[in-house]
Amino acid sequence: MYSFYKYLKPPWLEISLLILLFLISYTALGLISLGMETPPGGMPAVNIFILLLGFFLFSFMIATIAVISGIGGGVLFTPVMLAFTPIDSLIIRATGLVVAMFSGLISTGPHMKRGIGNLRMSILFAVAYGTGAFSGAQGSIFVWRYLGEEGEAAIRIALGIIIALVAAYFIFGGQKLEWPKIETVDRFTRWLNLSQSYYEPSLDRVLEYKVTRAGYALAAIFFVGIISGFFGLGAGWAIVPVQNLVMGVPLKVAAANSTILIGMGDCIAVWPYLLAGALIPLFVAPWVVGLVLGGRLGAFLLYRVKAEFVRLLLIAILFFTSISLVIRGLEILEIIRELPGYVSILIFAAILLFVMRSYFKSSCRG
Amino acid sequence: MKQRTGNGVIISKAQRVYGSVVYWITITSAIICVIGPTLALANIERSILNPHYLFAAIWRGEDVNTVWQEAAGGFPGGHFYLEHFFAGDGFTQFGIALGSSAALWGLLAASWAFIKERSYGYALVCLFVSAIIIFSALGVVEVK
Repeated sequence: MYSFYKYLKPPWLEISLLILLFLISYTALGLISLGMETPPGGMPAVNIFILLLGFFLFSFMIATIAVISGIGGGVLFTPVMLAFTPIDSLIIRATGLVVAMFSGLISTGPHMKRGIGNLRMSILFAVAYGTGAFSGAQGSIFVWRYLGEEGEAAIRIALGIIIALVAAYFIFGGQKLEWPKIETVDRFTRWLNLSQSYYEPSLDRVLEYKVTRAGYALAAIFFVGIISGFFGLGAGWAIVPVQNLVMGVPLKVAAANSTILIGMGDCIAVWPYLLAGALIPLFVAPWVVGLVLGGRLGAFLLYRVKAEFVRLLLIAILFFTSISLVIRGLEILEIIRELPGYVSILIFAAILLFVMRSYFKSSCRG
Repeated sequence: MKQRTGNGVIISKAQRVYGSVVYWITITSAIICVIGPTLALANIERSILNPHYLFAAIWRGEDVNTVWQEAAGGFPGGHFYLEHFFAGDGFTQFGIALGSSAALWGLLAASWAFIKERSYGYALVCLFVSAIIIFSALGVVEVK
């Protein structure tokens, strides 16, 4: 009897309601589409239904991976959509922002409630990141005007190499990065009162964590914002390493803060696209639903997976971002020919497979 | 005003408030986005966008202006959902806009909780980020 009542309380209540509404709504949509006539030059309703269902399933998968690794889902969504669909890049970029935003927003609640997320840190980062991103967007116009395409290509390649070095550090840094030990806390960080505790299920105990060097971290996140605004990149790949390496934030907390920050920050970035008409309601809606359900699953899994899994997933994403940046830089310099979009997907799949293999190997040893 | 969870973790009220507000707004937004497209397809006459022409244009790779032109006879403006709330696509766009403002409502509620906790500095930071979101939604902050 108790197990039944469990499903009438949050979070099961709203998840069950959403799944039920999804089943009813999409069944109705399928039935309506069967009986509809197609106007000349229009897409048949059955095809529309299949597209909407496919978008839902894909977004569900993206959100699950994004929330566990602390990235915005855009890093997965954008290359796949650009590679495999003929859809206009502005519509893809705008929808990619919604993908990142909703995967962040839906995991914010559970992260905050369980203490794995840290609101004080997240809002401070939002200010640093937001001002940096705005400066970066202005800077990109300057560079484009004075340094031309070669300047942008050189910066992309340099950034790709830096990210690869960060990924290498994550490989060799090992467990000390999962739960860093902070000996001394500087005065500024103590004044900000950022330390908190969270329950770590894999250790079955509450971990009190301290952080340090908040000033340097805010400066680094401002710099990340500049890069993000400059290149129009997501920032999840950088926000997690900065918190972990500079401030000593435990890796899972860093991943949670990153998703909270992405949700918050993209609430600013998404409006210009909406006001420009790049967010088309019937195209965006199935992504939102998949993201909310997938993001909820991702948040659920983040508490249960080992911190090492988060580290390996992050390494995979860092290497993928690094390779993509270097390839794009070489393409702009015309050192290599423009590669077809599916190459990005193959690279990501190969890196992900390698990481999964490493994880299962270490799990078997452990 | 801090609360201990079942696992013994101590969490501030501002953090709980922000999490709850953002979570429930996001869920509401998702529910609207589940129902909206079905309403739009079930009642095409009342919708702004004709789904047949919309998806045909999107799938042909047309740009944003052409997509709106072909499916709706032109872009009716960013906040068109306010005038067409009861149309399937207007209702769906309202859901997306609601989700896009989730952090704003969460930050306003958190700033109030921070004031109650006497963390005035953090309350100010919350209000600062809220102001940026408002400016962005009004079209004052434009990122090109």
